[in-house]
Amino acid sequence: MQIYLPIAEISVNIFLILGLGLAVGFLSGMFGVGGGFLLTPILIFVGIPPAVAVSTQANQIAASSASGALAHFRRRTLDVKMGLVLLAGGVFGSVAGVWLFSVLQARGQIDLVISLCYVLFLGVIGALMFIESVNAIRKRGRTEVRGEAGRGRRRKRRWIDALPLKTRFPVSGLYISIIPVVVIGFLVGALAALMGVGGGFVMVPAMIYILRMPTNVVIGTSLFQILFVTALTAFLQAAQNQTVDVILAALLIIGSVIGAQFGARVGARVRAEELRVALAAMVLAVAVKLAFDLTATPPDLYELMEAALAVRLA
Amino acid sequence: MRALLALLAALAAAPVFAKAPPEGAPPETDIVAALTQEVVEIRSNFDGAELVLYGAARGLREGDDITVVVRGPERDLRVMRKQRSFGIWINRAPVRFESVPGYYAVAATRPLSEFATFTALRRNEIGADHLRLSAPETERTETRFGVADVRVSDLGAEIVDYRDAIIRAKADEGLIAERAGGVELLDGGLFRAQVILPPTTPVGEYAADVYLFRDGVPIASRRTTLNVQKAGVERAIYDLAHNQPALYGLLAVIFAALAGWAAAEVFRRR
Repeated sequence: MQIYLPIAEISVNIFLILGLGLAVGFLSGMFGVGGGFLLTPILIFVGIPPAVAVSTQANQIAASSASGALAHFRRRTLDVKMGLVLLAGGVFGSVAGVWLFSVLQARGQIDLVISLCYVLFLGVIGALMFIESVNAIRKRGRTEVRGEAGRGRRRKRRWIDALPLKTRFPVSGLYISIIPVVVIGFLVGALAALMGVGGGFVMVPAMIYILRMPTNVVIGTSLFQILFVTALTAFLQAAQNQTVDVILAALLIIGSVIGAQFGARVGARVRAEELRVALAAMVLAVAVKLAFDLTATPPDLYELMEAALAVRLA
Repeated sequence: MRALLALLAALAAAPVFAKAPPEGAPPETDIVAALTQEVVEIRSNFDGAELVLYGAARGLREGDDITVVVRGPERDLRVMRKQRSFGIWINRAPVRFESVPGYYAVAATRPLSEFATFTALRRNEIGADHLRLSAPETERTETRFGVADVRVSDLGAEIVDYRDAIIRAKADEGLIAERAGGVELLDGGLFRAQVILPPTTPVGEYAADVYLFRDGVPIASRRTTLNVQKAGVERAIYDLAHNQPALYGLLAVIFAALAGWAAAEVFRRR
């Protein structure tokens, strides 16, 4: 059954889009990631204009992270204060990202920049995650002894601890400067707007390795920040570029909400390390595919674009 | 249906077709034509549309040909060519084309080159090869071989590659189509042609021109119009998004938040 998307201005198969939402929702429920990094390239592949895919995706992620953040809030695994400081940076990041998106679109380079960002971030994070989780599986027998030793060791002072504007974050049990927090929020916000993703795959490692937040509050806090940043991104994209398609968003939301339920149940039965290896492999596969597309000779060397956008921003 | 009745009335008023024109008087030719639909509405189930253009040619003789050209609303296009640098393909060399028809279809009783002269096709822009695609920013006029006001492209022969790229990309989507034999001649000067609008067809005013060709040149023509517009929910959403973008964005975000909240409620109960 075909359905016409009023903003994307193309007709798509309704079950294909619902199925995509379902599959990506399943993966996001299983791995605890937003899944935007998978869905945006697929939507573009299906024929949705990249600008519409990225903006609509932001709207869909706002819905899925809202449900996740609420669940974490009830379980008290959400550091609201940390989330708000991250958000302060995220708001500016989002505005900057949407602006950069318009400029790149006007120059005809948006597809290239989106692909490059994907290859870079997915490649680096996928590789790191893969190495880390494979090592964890190999050392499984020995970890308990080392874990004890590691916990007792005092943390080294790092350059981050030398920064001014220190604040206490009671839920996370941290006393750190707000500067790195705001900077991380800004970068993730900009990436989210540019790539049509929530940015959880950048945010979570940054929180764990740079801010050293306890793992139990990381996911909830990251979802909290993603919720507001993607909501703002969707609003800005709609207001400035008119590229949010609510019909497409609604179909994706319905699919992903149901898929996430099944994914979360399956994920609970699989061991964490295996899950991380699988996620890393998937992330790397997407990165390799996009890297291949960038270097392979395209089927048509010419690309047609609407000229109206260029005029508006010239 | 109204159009069909009008056509029948016109046919009734016309003299009997088969009869040769009286001696001495100039041979009279005229065309009447209508589309099965004058308005195509894009609703949520829109997946392209198929229309039929039918009509009658008065004074049609053996060896005459009919051509139907449908032109959609014009838009400016930017075409970029990919070039490889540092191993990756990057969009370069943008060329701006003005007033490119968003839809362009030609149907004829026979292949165009068999019955029409090059000049006639070029002048009336009949056939994808003769469609005028101008890139004013790359053009200048100069005097060549003593002829004033010759338009020359700065890109030289490359402009042809850009042109071909536009036609190729649009033909893939069904937005440029050329069908020899697409016009069916029936008895008594009646003819029929199918117009296929793909799902990506642009919104706006379309013009369908019917030409009667004799001895290589068009001797009569008739234009009918067609309007493609969004309707129902699709239209309401599109209008809201463009007329009240801030409100639309706000509603989209509120909808997302509500959907997320609803999902969290369902999660909690399990």
